[in-house]
Amino acid sequence: MKTNSILNVPLLHPNWKKVGYLFFPLPVILVIGIAFLNPGMEHNESTQIIYGFWAIGFGILNLTRENVEDEMIKNFRQQAFQTGFFWLILGLATLMLINYLWFGRFTSELFTAYLVLFLLNAYIYGAFQYQKYLSSKSEN
Amino acid sequence: MKNTIKVERAKKDMTQQDLAEKVQVSRQTINSIEAGKYVPSTVLALKIARVFETPLEEIFELEDGD
Repeated sequence: MKTNSILNVPLLHPNWKKVGYLFFPLPVILVIGIAFLNPGMEHNESTQIIYGFWAIGFGILNLTRENVEDEMIKNFRQQAFQTGFFWLILGLATLMLINYLWFGRFTSELFTAYLVLFLLNAYIYGAFQYQKYLSSKSEN
Repeated sequence: MKNTIKVERAKKDMTQQDLAEKVQVSRQTINSIEAGKYVPSTVLALKIARVFETPLEEIFELEDGD
């Protein structure tokens, strides 16, 4: 299994973290710029641009290796992806239920691919950072 | 699973960083193992045992809940 290249996920160099962080302020500047050029742009469109960029930002951060990528970090990463996916499904199910109770239907314009990808990557990032925090909380 | 890594380190006058470098993991990983927050893989456990020149089962011991 360890040598099966099709299952191997290549991770980015730690310097890519800077690129990842760049994707958080970038869409805000971009949306403001577009709004100046095109005042008629829909509010939802700018929201989706922000979600998309943040999804990419978190995606890069999730796929960037730590300075020491040892077995504990690999373990945390695997757990983070599992936990992130679980939170996504749970969160979406909750939102669908709330939507049904308030508006009488499960689907909503709120659920876009950009939002789902943003939430998934944000949850993975959160779960990974949380594990790192727990492991370093009571250092000797 | 409990372990005696801290005791073994003290015997050898070794810091967490020293041990981490010898078994090629981060100091945080050694700290987490010592604190019982992280259970190492068989490979890492064997590497640690080799550094201390001690049988594996003398360093790592199963607890009731394991």
